[in-house]
Amino acid sequence: MDRTERLLDLVALFLDATHPVTWDEVRDAFPDEYAGSFDAAQRKFERDKVELHELGIPLTHVLETDETPAGYVLDRNAYYLPEVGLTPEELAVLYAAGSAVLASGAFPGRQDLAHALRKVGFFADGPLPAPRVRLELGGVADARELPGRLEVLWGAINAKKFVVIDYFSPHTRQTTTRKVDPWGLALRRGVWSLVGYCHLRKAVRTFHVHRIRRAEPNAQKPRVADFEVPKDFRLDAYVASWPWQHQFHQPLEVSVRLRGELAPLAEQLFPFKAKRADETAELTVPATDLDGLVTYVLSLGADARITAPPQAVDRARALAQRVLDAHQESAS
Amino acid sequence: MTASAEKGRTQAYERLRRLLFLVPFVSKNPGRSVDEVAKAVGVSKEELLEELDLLTLVGRPPFQPDDFIDIYVEDDRVFLHLNQRLSAPPRLTAAEGVALAAAAALLKPSAGGALASALARLEKVLPPQAVQRYREMSRQLDVATEAPDSIAVLTQAIVEHRELSLEYSGLGKGEHERRRVRPLELFSHRGQWYLSAFCLTRQGQRFFRVDRIGAVELLAERFTPSTDAPPRALPGTGEIEKPVKVRFSPELAPYQQERFGEAAVTQDDGSVVVTVPGDSERWLTRWVLSFGGNATVTDPPWAIRAVAQAASASLRSD
Repeated sequence: MDRTERLLDLVALFLDATHPVTWDEVRDAFPDEYAGSFDAAQRKFERDKVELHELGIPLTHVLETDETPAGYVLDRNAYYLPEVGLTPEELAVLYAAGSAVLASGAFPGRQDLAHALRKVGFFADGPLPAPRVRLELGGVADARELPGRLEVLWGAINAKKFVVIDYFSPHTRQTTTRKVDPWGLALRRGVWSLVGYCHLRKAVRTFHVHRIRRAEPNAQKPRVADFEVPKDFRLDAYVASWPWQHQFHQPLEVSVRLRGELAPLAEQLFPFKAKRADETAELTVPATDLDGLVTYVLSLGADARITAPPQAVDRARALAQRVLDAHQESAS
Repeated sequence: MTASAEKGRTQAYERLRRLLFLVPFVSKNPGRSVDEVAKAVGVSKEELLEELDLLTLVGRPPFQPDDFIDIYVEDDRVFLHLNQRLSAPPRLTAAEGVALAAAAALLKPSAGGALASALARLEKVLPPQAVQRYREMSRQLDVATEAPDSIAVLTQAIVEHRELSLEYSGLGKGEHERRRVRPLELFSHRGQWYLSAFCLTRQGQRFFRVDRIGAVELLAERFTPSTDAPPRALPGTGEIEKPVKVRFSPELAPYQQERFGEAAVTQDDGSVVVTVPGDSERWLTRWVLSFGGNATVTDPPWAIRAVAQAASASLRSD
């Protein structure tokens, strides 16, 4: 009997049962499947139970009572998806996001996502919304390998298995092989990062997924966790959302002034509350990558200025001067 | 366990997961065509027919004729006879919940309250034993997007098939034009959001850059969208408008090769040259400035002058 068939038969058996199903009854129902010694058969059934559990099928063992024998029970209420009760707007939003992600390719857990969308749409009356929103994720020219890599890493994160990766550094232009405990994946500005414990560097490290040339998860004992993620771990602490957040030096408080058409946009351009006066907006940015902040401010144009401290003001002038010099030379 | 055994396990898991959805789906929607059912379950027609074959073998002990799932195809339509069991799909697994929540987070700015309430409802229908795992895993997938706030109203208009009146400043600088459009699709490409729409003002299909859209008004007029897929051509993928050549210093070269791929041409000194559209002078000058002197426009002269002017504007004292 095919394994899928046996598992489905088990689901049917337990969903139909009106009393706890004893182990003897299970064996009697599938004499060929659970043949052999008692221990071997029991182990096989335990593996099937784990598989069912992963599919969201909660099989529990209950003790003997006056009325019923000891046996396995499937709680129908805990199994069946209830009506989620989503409003049309809520369903539309979930479908907009979900279908955009599925179309983009580069997103971990795509199978899970596709199933989730089917399930939340199960009770919908009428056709499912097909909003047209597309996202381009990955941020690199050659993203062919990216979807597969993300699936492998997400699988290893879920199963808590270490991965061996070949990682290319554009800085050194070398590829190193490392063993990494994958703790999580983060997407920032279209670029995916893997954060995990690097056994080569003996520290938590962040890797751009598109620079991972090979990723092999540990295939030994797939159901046994290789590591635990620290309780206080937060991805956000390891991936820079903003260009001044790379951890390059001690935090430096930098003052930024925005005027003209930039002033009303202050809170969109910087994730801080701005002080406003005379059609300007002033912000204080704690930078751990001063050049990241300086080039970001330059990219906003002449209506954005760094006003303090002098070290940051000078750096902004120096970089703008470099740009000017390079372009005056080539113009002449 | 070997890698191939692991793969076999994953395939069995995927198959079972599909079947546990397929049976309730046919039960709720009897008489749908084979194609429709295949699409709803996410498999090809051939795969679906294989799954239906397997399902006819599934039953419960003692496996008498009435104990099997009675699923069959008649005149290319799928029917099912079964008693109460498998009347609904299983609840979401923790992994399914996390994937959906993470995808939804990508459109956070556009979704507002509807997204938060949808996610709250979803968490309520996770099986109790999966809630803890869901919370744990939610920490392990973290996505942030830069979708501008205005995509909220644009998404709403697409979903509700409503016409929009928008202020648009095209290639010319500064001047705003009012356009009335039927929004079709919203997408991001190379970090830029675009609205694809039928422009009623210009009577034609147009792409609008979302960052050049000013005030937007959601109109009461609804339209029936055509069932054809919206045009798939991406702006900037064909002939590059007003091409500008930009050279990157050797130290930045590997990063730009990643981003531009074969379009980045390596020079003898290790630097690379890329060609980008110069249709927006403002975008061009700011982009070049953001590399702080490691990117230099080499051609054409107007673009070199524009960057030099932008750099001196940043140097001028207030």
